Amino acid sequence: MNIHINGKAYPLSHETHISVSSALTLYFIEPQQSTFAVALNGDFVGKADYGTTMVKNGDSLDVLQPIQGG
Amino acid sequence: MSLNIYGQNLASRLLIGSALYPSPQVMKEAILASGSQVVTLSLKRQNPAAKSGQQIWHYLQEIVKQTDGHLLPNTAGCKTAKEAVTLAHMSREIFKTDWLKLEVIGDDYNLQPDPIELLHAAEQLIKDGFKVLPYCTDDLVLCQRLYDLGCEVIMPWASPIGTGKGLMNPYNLETIRLRLPDATLILDAGIGKPSDACLAMEMGYDGVLLNSAVALADNPVLMAKAFGLALQAGEQGYVAGIMQQRQTAHPSTPTLDTPFWHQS
Repeated sequence: MNIHINGKAYPLSHETHISVSSALTLYFIEPQQSTFAVALNGDFVGKADYGTTMVKNGDSLDVLQPIQGG
Repeated sequence: MSLNIYGQNLASRLLIGSALYPSPQVMKEAILASGSQVVTLSLKRQNPAAKSGQQIWHYLQEIVKQTDGHLLPNTAGCKTAKEAVTLAHMSREIFKTDWLKLEVIGDDYNLQPDPIELLHAAEQLIKDGFKVLPYCTDDLVLCQRLYDLGCEVIMPWASPIGTGKGLMNPYNLETIRLRLPDATLILDAGIGKPSDACLAMEMGYDGVLLNSAVALADNPVLMAKAFGLALQAGEQGYVAGIMQQRQTAHPSTPTLDTPFWHQS
C-alpha cells in the first residue's frame, strides 16, 4: 500500500488502510503542537474526524500550514 | 469614518498583505506603520516539523493582537471552485474566522480570476456560512452577480497581481461604484503607488487591499505610512465633493479691475 502526503509517497507494507491520525504520525514530529489542516483526496477533513477517517491505498493527503499571503 | 466589513467597523481603510517583505520583522513594522487592521495570509503544503510556518503564524498573531485586527485568509493558488471551497474550510479551522478572500485563478499568465468558478465557489461558501470577499475582475455584471449572491464586499482588481500598474480601467471601476452604491468596494491587486490608492478613494471606493507596493518598496515601513496617508487624503477628497471638470479655462483670479495693460 502506498499513500501520498503532500506529494511524497509513503509505502505501508502491512496495513490495508489506516486512519488519518495514524497517517499523520508518519509525517509529523509533534502533531499536537502544530498548526495545520488536512484534506484527503481534495476534501477537507476536520480535526474531529482524524480518528475515524480512513486512508486507503493510492489516497493523497494534503497537510497545509499558514504562510504569508497577499 | 470607518470601513465596514460584514458588520465590523475598522478605523483604517487599508487591507494589507503579509508576503514578499525582506524579513518577518520588516513585515511586522510595515503592517503596524500602515495602520491596517486587516492582514491577508494563506495556507500552503509544509511539513510542520520544519517549523517555518509556525514562525510566520506567531508573527501574524502578534500583529493582529497589537492592532486589534483581523486575519483575512485567501485561497491563492486555487483554479477551481472545489479547490477553493476545500481550502476555505481548512482556513476556517485554523484561523477561526468566517472571512475569506476568495481567489480562483483562470489564467496563469496574468493571474486573472476565473469569473465562472468564482461565482460557483462564492455560492457554495455563502451556503457554508462564510463571509466572502471575492477578488474579481473589473466586470460590472460579474460584480453585480457576486453582490446578488450575498457578497457584501466586492474586490475588483486595479490591474494584475503584482504588476504595480495601477488603475488600468478607471471607467469600469467608476461604473461599478455607480451601479453598486450599497456594496463595500475594495480595490484589490495591481496598486503600485500611493496616488493609485488615493485615486480609488476619490472614486468613492471603501478601501484598498495591497501587498507588493509596500513589501517591494525600498523602504517598506515608510511606504506603508505613505499609503495610510494617501487613503486618508483620497477619502477626505471624496467626502468633500470634487469639483466638476470643465471643458474651457476659467480664470481663478478675479478679472474685475485687471491692470491697465488689458484695458482697451
